[in-house]
Amino acid sequence: MAATKTITIDPVTRIEGHSKITLHLDETGRVTDARFHVTQFRGFEKFCEGRPFAEMPSLMARICGICPVSHLIASAKACDELLAVRIPPTAEKLRRIIGIAQVVQSHALSLFHLSSPDLLLGMDADPATRNIFGVLEAEPQLARDGIALRKFGQQIIERLGGKRIHPGWVVPGGVNNPLSQQDRDAILAAIPDALAIALRSLAWFKGVAEKFADEAESFGSFPSLFMGIVNDDGNLAFYDGKLRFVDGDGETVADGLDGADYAEFLGEKVEPWSYLKSAYYTPKGYPGGIYRVGPLARLNVAQNCGTPLADEELRVFRMLHGRTPASSFHYHHARLIEILHCVERMEELLNDSEILSTHVRAEAKPNALEGVGIAEAPRGTLLHHYKIDEQGLIIWANLIIATGQNNLAMNRSVLQVAQRYVRGEHITHGMLNRVEAVIRAYDPCLSCSTHAAGQMALQVQLLGPDGAVLDEAVR
Amino acid sequence: MQHALVIAYGNPLRGDDGLAWRVADELRHNAPELARILCVHQLTPELAEEASDAELVIFLDAAAEGSAGEVLCRPVEAQTEPARFWHHIAPAEILSLCERLYAAKPRGFLLTVCGEHFKHGDTLSPVAIGAIPRAVAALCALTEREFYAA
Repeated sequence: MAATKTITIDPVTRIEGHSKITLHLDETGRVTDARFHVTQFRGFEKFCEGRPFAEMPSLMARICGICPVSHLIASAKACDELLAVRIPPTAEKLRRIIGIAQVVQSHALSLFHLSSPDLLLGMDADPATRNIFGVLEAEPQLARDGIALRKFGQQIIERLGGKRIHPGWVVPGGVNNPLSQQDRDAILAAIPDALAIALRSLAWFKGVAEKFADEAESFGSFPSLFMGIVNDDGNLAFYDGKLRFVDGDGETVADGLDGADYAEFLGEKVEPWSYLKSAYYTPKGYPGGIYRVGPLARLNVAQNCGTPLADEELRVFRMLHGRTPASSFHYHHARLIEILHCVERMEELLNDSEILSTHVRAEAKPNALEGVGIAEAPRGTLLHHYKIDEQGLIIWANLIIATGQNNLAMNRSVLQVAQRYVRGEHITHGMLNRVEAVIRAYDPCLSCSTHAAGQMALQVQLLGPDGAVLDEAVR
Repeated sequence: MQHALVIAYGNPLRGDDGLAWRVADELRHNAPELARILCVHQLTPELAEEASDAELVIFLDAAAEGSAGEVLCRPVEAQTEPARFWHHIAPAEILSLCERLYAAKPRGFLLTVCGEHFKHGDTLSPVAIGAIPRAVAALCALTEREFYAA
């Protein structure tokens, strides 16, 4: 039996939640296998059992401090199905606004706070300065822009939902309160600055991305399926629509799929080395049914964004990277295009003639015992599926979260990056940072799996076949 | 115009960790004109922009260490050494961001109220509840002193 070694990166830094990566090396020092382990445990599907269904949106929002609004929306949509009501048109538009506000703030967090240090300072930069504070030293305007975009999104969430984190405003049947003219005008007044920042950030990114051609070729660059929601025009959609799968050539594999039928085409596999399940497209089996969700996938499945500035940027994106870019490095670029689209769409929605209507909630008692809610969260498609008893108490719940749907792709990406950059018995920060950086490109939200506390430390050990420590890096 | 900002942070679902939010509620009720108040779960970089508009920033937090019910106040200076970015940042780092990103130098203070129980739950311990009026009084006194005494 050949002698092997294992490198462990524990935890992976600058992502949401806690995880570790193990790299398996053969006796020549070549990486033969790699795994992305999610070390947290989640229990939301179980401990909500027995609770009244109307509590579910605010309960599910507690899953995450970064994307609580996505859970609110998917949960409320599942509850709408239980009520069997059509929510008022204004309520739907207001839900759309708060949903895309969250996309803006979450994407800004991912790109500016977590990934821009790698992109601006370089993958091999000193780890002590390769963070948001290093960014502000090197490029203060970029740091200010990141902060401003995140604040823009958070303040809209606060204006609509009452607070930035865990708002309870989205409820079964609609929303709790209408939008005031004062809040509408205040949000509209902030749109021009947000648009300017989004465009400036895109220009910056296109400039720096040229320096990462090598990373773009190995950061999860492989053919896979992509899945996302599209609207009736086949364009980018976050709140509602049908699911579409395309393959690596951009060919449509499945279209017009109803989220409520997810069990017919999505499977989940449990691996013994991770608490994160791996979702796959069942017609192609496991792991052949590997697919990706999130910003890159959404742009790959959509015909267009459907707003003028974002469509122009999408045209440039496709000119640079092709119609269906395969590399997960392009998640960053896609994220910025989505920010631009969301700000444009927000302006449209806020100028809608019905947006100040006070009819924002449909009241009903449960009329169905099962409901599925689906929406596009910042990191990808999110599904909430509930069953209730005659008293309206939850008896079963299933959540399929974006990060789980990217799990197979993240694992394959880690292996690809490790095989490209990690060699021999000596570990460099640059090598390991690239392994982590490809995970950051997906912007996984492991906090959607559970809550964790504690300071992020990093200890990497290179173990020989006999378990002896060959090299170690601690920070 | 002189402007004070109170940033109350903590988790109201973890017992006495929600003390800062409760003190902020009392402050809003009893002295709404005193300061602009923000309640957040943790300190994040974007708070620097809000803090940069203020002349006085008071960070309000619950502490696990110390004698339960004790109210402590100390000045905070902008951090000068390179900062590390974890899941949360410290008051000194917020002031540092104010200075380096927005060329603003608000005066900073950290007012902590020592708690007793930090387990799951949205209720405060009796000793923490008893400390709320003292914390509000300390906040009012601090603001008064910083703005008017000199």
